[in-house]
Amino acid sequence: MTGAVPTIALVGNPNAGKSSLFNALTGARQKIANYPGVTVERKAGHASFADGRPISLIDLPGTYSLIPASPDEAVTRDVILGRQEGERQPDALIVVLDAANLDNHLCFALELIALGLPTVVALNMLDLAERDGLTLDPARLSKELGVPVVPTVAVRKRGMAELLGAVDEALRGAKPAAPIAQVPTPSDAALHSRARAISRAATLSETPVRRWTARVDAVVLHPVVGFLILLALMFVMFQAVYAWAGPPADALEAGVGVLQSWVVENIPQNFLRDLVVEGLLAGVGAVVVFLPQILILFLFILLLEASGYMTRAAFLMDGLMAKVGLSGRGFIPLLSSFACAVPGIMATRAIPDEKDRLTTILIAPLMTCSARLPVYALIIAAFIPNRGVGGTGIGLQGLVLFGLYLAGIVGALIVAFALRRTVAKGNAAGFMMEMPRYQMPQWRDVALGLWQRAWIFLRRAGTIIAMTTVVLWLLLTFPKAPPGESQVDYSVGGRIASGLEVVVKPIGFNHDIALALIPAMAAREVAVSAMATANAIDAGDDEEAMAETLGERLQGKWSLATALAFLAWFVFAPQCISTIAITRRETNGWKWPMFMVGYLFLLAYAAAGITYWTAVAFGLG
Amino acid sequence: MTALLDSAPLGVAVRIAGIDWSAMSEDEGRRLREFGLMEGVEITPLHRGSIFSRDPLALAVGRMRVIIRARQAAMISVESPVSEPAES
Repeated sequence: MTGAVPTIALVGNPNAGKSSLFNALTGARQKIANYPGVTVERKAGHASFADGRPISLIDLPGTYSLIPASPDEAVTRDVILGRQEGERQPDALIVVLDAANLDNHLCFALELIALGLPTVVALNMLDLAERDGLTLDPARLSKELGVPVVPTVAVRKRGMAELLGAVDEALRGAKPAAPIAQVPTPSDAALHSRARAISRAATLSETPVRRWTARVDAVVLHPVVGFLILLALMFVMFQAVYAWAGPPADALEAGVGVLQSWVVENIPQNFLRDLVVEGLLAGVGAVVVFLPQILILFLFILLLEASGYMTRAAFLMDGLMAKVGLSGRGFIPLLSSFACAVPGIMATRAIPDEKDRLTTILIAPLMTCSARLPVYALIIAAFIPNRGVGGTGIGLQGLVLFGLYLAGIVGALIVAFALRRTVAKGNAAGFMMEMPRYQMPQWRDVALGLWQRAWIFLRRAGTIIAMTTVVLWLLLTFPKAPPGESQVDYSVGGRIASGLEVVVKPIGFNHDIALALIPAMAAREVAVSAMATANAIDAGDDEEAMAETLGERLQGKWSLATALAFLAWFVFAPQCISTIAITRRETNGWKWPMFMVGYLFLLAYAAAGITYWTAVAFGLG
Repeated sequence: MTALLDSAPLGVAVRIAGIDWSAMSEDEGRRLREFGLMEGVEITPLHRGSIFSRDPLALAVGRMRVIIRARQAAMISVESPVSEPAES
């Protein structure tokens, strides 16, 4: 062996508990190349052997065999065979098996062992297998397979030291890894009968099936009751995003305010202070306030994912999605897109059918992502009265928000229907999926997932958003306006906005909006920070104007028709560079991202226009 | 006596008598086999669709539960597990 740090890949079927095992082995020492999907993105981490020698671990997407049915499964094959660009072939494999599903999981394990790489089998979730009435014999299994078998319970960190010890042992004396040219391909039937024989040999006793999961499924997958439960869950989720996020969001907002006044009091007035107070703090602060809402949304998604419910939701939604040419598989990426379209689009890698996948990617930006929340929240709070609807407990503001979410979903279904009959024509999408059993979500895995999302959001706020805000502040501050003229209108940025205003004037957009739209291409929520920055500059040292919130100031300057048109615009507008970039990456070219940007801008312009003209006709202009 | 899986009653165990591999794509067929759906295997249809549709179909295959579409289920013929294969 060379002196390099050995790379060990975790491989296994979906639902074998691979991600939990990866978390247990690496703790928080993980590096995710980009946004994490569930197990779709390349996840790498560090661990060390008992004597302290470091090792590098990679978590590969779950798959059933070395013959891939979807892009993420292809990654698994290519990494293992040493064909993946930019990735060293792993020095050893940890094959993760669900102890309660040996019949099936052993098929892939046999295929992997046949490759001849140093291999250790992790017999995972042994506790759940015992709960289901299975008693297994790991020593016998090891004898049958010809490789070490280590019993593990990843969620309780049981067996981790033994697992790494076995890997260390397997690496000693192993030949250096070389790309594997020939993949043995036994027939499926032969593989299955061998897997069944080994599984039978390693099973000491067995009582039939898991009654618990069956009983829950009888309710949760009931054609009517199950659907109502799904609807109720979605409703609670979106309500919680508002109700629970209130106090922490207020606290964050107050914190930003305290920071601003501290800077104003302690630093003499100069260019830098204005940049920090009016640019950085006003802009970034306006966005960071939405961290609690984003975390709550992700918390729900992570819990649904970890408990095994998400696949049930996909089952229930499949019939409906089939009607527009999609499949239940698309439900998970689309639901993730409510948090952010980027992980959503990455999660589409699990969709095997190419046209089904393309359509799901193209409509993912129509799901109301969390970056739109700051925009919606600001405008709704400023323009929609905070009162109940017809004496019920349902608030009008919440209803408008629900309507905006719904507009995105309905729009997406119509677009999908149209795309599947035109540019993404193809066979009826298939839907084949394994249903995992229910499991208690592990707080450690959920906390780690939340932390990763929070970090990504804050990093975005600290980089893209901070940078665009500062650039915008500079554009709006120079050249200095002569006394009596509006600084914002006189500046470079203001003049650019005046040019754009000509185009968007027909749909009711004013100078403020034109100004906000340009930097909002970087990220939607920048629209809010842009308006905050512009208003902070406009207010200047005017104490009274400074005290007004952004919402109050907009109320004085915009008509209701304009506000509604602005909301309608954001339902459809493709305003986020990251989404366009990820679409380019996932579709291998500029054709589809350009198509997406084009059709979304057209829809946004039309929707805003229709909203504005209708509202004006009703006298709201 | 055989029937097609897409019309088999829920909750009753059946044995796969035959699968029309030629009617499905190679990928579809492979995934079915990866799920353990092969001739001679015993399965139980468990759940079917929602209020909107009779699709999809959830099955128990050994200790695993899998979801397939009714279109694929229509390519799988099943028989009662108690009947002797020789009789058919």
